[in-house]
Amino acid sequence: MLLVTALRTGRAVHPTTGTLATPAGAVAQTRGYAAPAAKNAKKVSSKFRPNAGKRRDSKRPGRDPGLFRPMSVNNLTHPVFESEQRVALQLPVFRPEAITPTAASKALAFPQNESNLLKAYGLPTNILVDYLLLSKPCSVVREVTVSLLDQLDNAARSSSKDNRVVLTGKPGCGKSYLMVQAVQYCSQKGWLSLYIPRAISLVNSSTSYVYDPRTQTYGQPAYAQQLLKRFVDVNGSLIRHLTLRSSYPFDERPVNSGEPLLNLINVGLEYQHQASTALSALFDELAKQTKYPVLLAIDDLQALYCRSQYRDPFFKSIKSYHLTLPRTLLEFVSGKRVFARGAVLGALSSQNTTFRTPLELIEALGLEPSGPSNPYVPRESEIVEYAKGLKNLPVPEKLTVDEAASIFELWQQAKALHLPQGDEPFLTKYTEAGGNAREFVQKGLLQTVAM
Amino acid sequence: MHILGVLLPESYPVKHALTQFYGIGQKTAQRLCARVQIHDRARIRHLNQGQITALTAFLSSPANSPPVAAQPLAPPTFVPPPLGQPVRQVEAEAPPDSLREIKIESDLRRQMRENIAHQRMIGSYVGRRHAMHLPVRGQNTQSNAKTARKLNRVERYN
Repeated sequence: MLLVTALRTGRAVHPTTGTLATPAGAVAQTRGYAAPAAKNAKKVSSKFRPNAGKRRDSKRPGRDPGLFRPMSVNNLTHPVFESEQRVALQLPVFRPEAITPTAASKALAFPQNESNLLKAYGLPTNILVDYLLLSKPCSVVREVTVSLLDQLDNAARSSSKDNRVVLTGKPGCGKSYLMVQAVQYCSQKGWLSLYIPRAISLVNSSTSYVYDPRTQTYGQPAYAQQLLKRFVDVNGSLIRHLTLRSSYPFDERPVNSGEPLLNLINVGLEYQHQASTALSALFDELAKQTKYPVLLAIDDLQALYCRSQYRDPFFKSIKSYHLTLPRTLLEFVSGKRVFARGAVLGALSSQNTTFRTPLELIEALGLEPSGPSNPYVPRESEIVEYAKGLKNLPVPEKLTVDEAASIFELWQQAKALHLPQGDEPFLTKYTEAGGNAREFVQKGLLQTVAM
Repeated sequence: MHILGVLLPESYPVKHALTQFYGIGQKTAQRLCARVQIHDRARIRHLNQGQITALTAFLSSPANSPPVAAQPLAPPTFVPPPLGQPVRQVEAEAPPDSLREIKIESDLRRQMRENIAHQRMIGSYVGRRHAMHLPVRGQNTQSNAKTARKLNRVERYN
C-alpha cells in the first residue's frame, strides 16, 4: 500500500530504510482549534480477563527483566548500528526579500515561529499530507509565484475592489501551494491575513448552525469562534494598535467605539452564541481601517457558489449566501463590500466532486464550461451577481524543468524516495507526469515507495 | 443518553441514533434533525440542552408538538438592522409540516394492531390469513411460509 495512503488512513508505517529520527518541527494538526475532546468514557474492566478484579500489590517490587532490558541508544556504539542518519531538511527560509525573479525554482522552507501561520489556520488536505512526509513545511518558488506576489505588492495601496483574483488551472497544477505562499508572504510583509484553507467545511454541514432573526441568515457559532481565535493568534501583534470605529452593544458586554479591536474579538471568543455577530463586526472594522492592508484568502472558493448541505426546518436546502459567514465572504469576493486597503485571493479546486465549480462562476472567469452552456441552461441571478468582476489568474499547468528539478531534489534530500539521484530517473518521472506537479510528486515520485 | 426510555449512545451520529425509535427511519431522522437545526455530523454528545429538549418534546407526541415558525431568509440586497435595535418580526407563511403527522412507538403499534383487528372484524381475507398465521399478501405456502407462521397474528405488534 502506498505511503501516502498509509498516512491518510492512519495505519502504522513500517520504515524500510534504516531508522528515521523523529521529524523535527513537523506541522502537526493538534486539537487546539478543534472542539474540546469528549470527556473520557468510564472504563469498565472486563469480566473476562483473568486478573480483572485483583488489585496490584504495591508492596511487591517490580519484576526485573534482567537480560531482556533494552539498551539505551547511547550504548549502541558499534559501527554496525550506524544507519543513514535522517537529518531535518536544510533549506533557506521563506522571506519577502528572498522572493526575486532569480529565486524562481528554489525550494524555501516556511518559518516556524510561535505565531505559526500554517499551524494556526490549517492547510488544505493535499498539502498537509505532503508535509506529513517531508520533515518541514516548504515549497518551491515559481515564476507565477513571483508575478502574483508582485501583484499583491501593488495591491497594498488600493482597495480590494480592484484586486480580486482567482487562481484557476488544471487539477494538480499548484493553486493551493501558490495560495499558501501568498498568505505567508503577505503576513510577513505586515498585512492582516485571514486564510480559509477549506471553504468546503463551511457548507458541508459539518459545524453547528443557528438561525439569527436579525440578519435573517444562519450563523455558524463554533466555526466563527475558531476562526476568531486563529485570526488573533496570527495577527495579534498587529491588531493591538487598532481601535473600533463604531460601537457594538452586545447583551453580555457592550463594546464602544474607541476601544481596542481585541475587545470585540474577545466577546466572540468568550460567548459562542455571539461569535458570528462578532466575526461580522470584525469584517466591518477591517474593511474600514487603513493602517494595514488585508488579505482575504479562500481555497475551494467554488464551494461558496454552490448550494450548501444544510437544511432549514422544513428540509429545504439552504443556499450558501443564506449562511452568515459564506455570505460575508461572497460579498467581499464580489466587491459589494471592500477592504480600504488589501486584496481578495481565491482558488478553485476540483478535488471534491460534490462541490463543483458552477456555470455562473466558470463564465465569470472565462473558463471553458465542462457541461452545456447554451442560453437554456438556468443560471441563478444571485450567483451571477456574486461572481462579477473576478480576475482570473491561470496557474501554468506545467512545471518548468528547473522547478521540477527543485522538487525532485527536495524529496531526495528528505530521503523519502527509492530513486537514484540523477537526470535519467528525474526526466523519466517528469515526462510521465507531463509536467503536472501533483502527478509528478504523488504518482511519479511517491509511487516508488509502494508498501 | 436516554430520551423517553430509548438509549442513544453518545458516539452515534444524531441522524442515525434517532432511528432507534420505533417508527423513525433514516428519512424521518434527517427531517427531525433539520427541524431542530442539528448538523449532519453532530454526535449525541454534541447536543446542547435546548436541542435535547426540543427533540424530547417532539418525540413524546409529534401531533401536539409546537409548529415551527417559518424563517425568512435575507435576499442579497438585505441590510440587517444594527445591534441593539429591536428586531422586527417578519410574518412569513410556513410551508406544510408533514413531520407532525408521523406516529412512533406505542401509537404506531396501536395503529397497526387496530388495522389488523379491523380486517378480522369485517371478515376479510387479510383478517383470516392473520388469524391462521399464514402469509397475507399472496406468497407461496407450498414451501417457504415460515416467517408468516412465526409472526402473523391477530395480536401482532403488541
